Amino acid sequence: MAEPSTFIFISGGVRSGKSTFAEELAAEVAQQSGSQLHYIAAGQANDPEMKERIEKHKKDRLKSGLKWRTWEQPRNLAEIASSFSAKDVVLFDCLTTLVNNELFQAGEQWEDPRFQRCMIESISEGIRQIKGRCQTLIVVSNEVLNEPIGSSELVFTYSKLMGVLHQEMAREANQAFLVEAGIPAAMKGGEKS
Amino acid sequence: MHFVTGGAFNGKSNWVKDFYQLEDTPHLWISAYRGAELPAGIVEWEKKDVVVLEGMELWLKSMAGTSLDVREQWQTFLQAWKSWERGAEGRMLILIGSDITKGIVPIDAEERKWRDAAGWAFQDTAAAADQVDLVWYGIRQKLK
Repeated sequence: MAEPSTFIFISGGVRSGKSTFAEELAAEVAQQSGSQLHYIAAGQANDPEMKERIEKHKKDRLKSGLKWRTWEQPRNLAEIASSFSAKDVVLFDCLTTLVNNELFQAGEQWEDPRFQRCMIESISEGIRQIKGRCQTLIVVSNEVLNEPIGSSELVFTYSKLMGVLHQEMAREANQAFLVEAGIPAAMKGGEKS
Repeated sequence: MHFVTGGAFNGKSNWVKDFYQLEDTPHLWISAYRGAELPAGIVEWEKKDVVVLEGMELWLKSMAGTSLDVREQWQTFLQAWKSWERGAEGRMLILIGSDITKGIVPIDAEERKWRDAAGWAFQDTAAAADQVDLVWYGIRQKLK
């Protein structure tokens, strides 16, 4: 059984099976400890494709027969931190989307290094607060740093911020997994649970 | 020779600095990110035993922009670096390269050439190196 306030970081490529693995892991922990499952979705349904994607994920969670409580939180994670308690297993999907949302609402500000630092700090703080309250927090993110960054200042900034955040996640995590083609490789913290 | 790779902004350089305690070790740090050219000669290294070459992928990009056979050229560098290492006890070359090969195949032919060059050169570097590590957000995975 997982220790109280376990923090797990999971990353992988697009369609690598990282969300499925994260959901299974969350369900396993919740079952062992009789905890409530929570799902924090950062995705916003801005277009039909996104809507479909979100619906598919919702259906999958329903099909699993487990009782997930879903929170739609495209920004500002700290806002909902007080909703969780020591009997909760929280899955957050996903960090790249959250950073997208925070950056896009910022207008021109994104270029300001002070804004960038504040944004990273506020995301880290939100995660810390949720982690501090719940039994297990699982954070899912995307592998986006294995291709040329190119010459766009925005993409460069985004990549740098993702790298900083992911390094922090890996440092703070009790367990960290890289999912390749559906297979989770334990990069930190050994066994699955 | 030690080859350290992984995605961009994954903490590779910090890992190297920690691993070799470079704060307290005299060394030469040559970085493509700070605009350094790939050192053609290694004469200037002779005073230092530990040399770090950071940003392999950028040097490979400029090589891929020429008519040279990049892979062959890189092999020549690798051999020169290995013989420098053999030249004296305690010499160590550390190569750091960001992986750029996992995105969608680029439409632009030049970009494709760069990506191929990086893939080949990384393979050849790994084969030539005594030690290879993958750094994933600061966590090291030993590959060789």
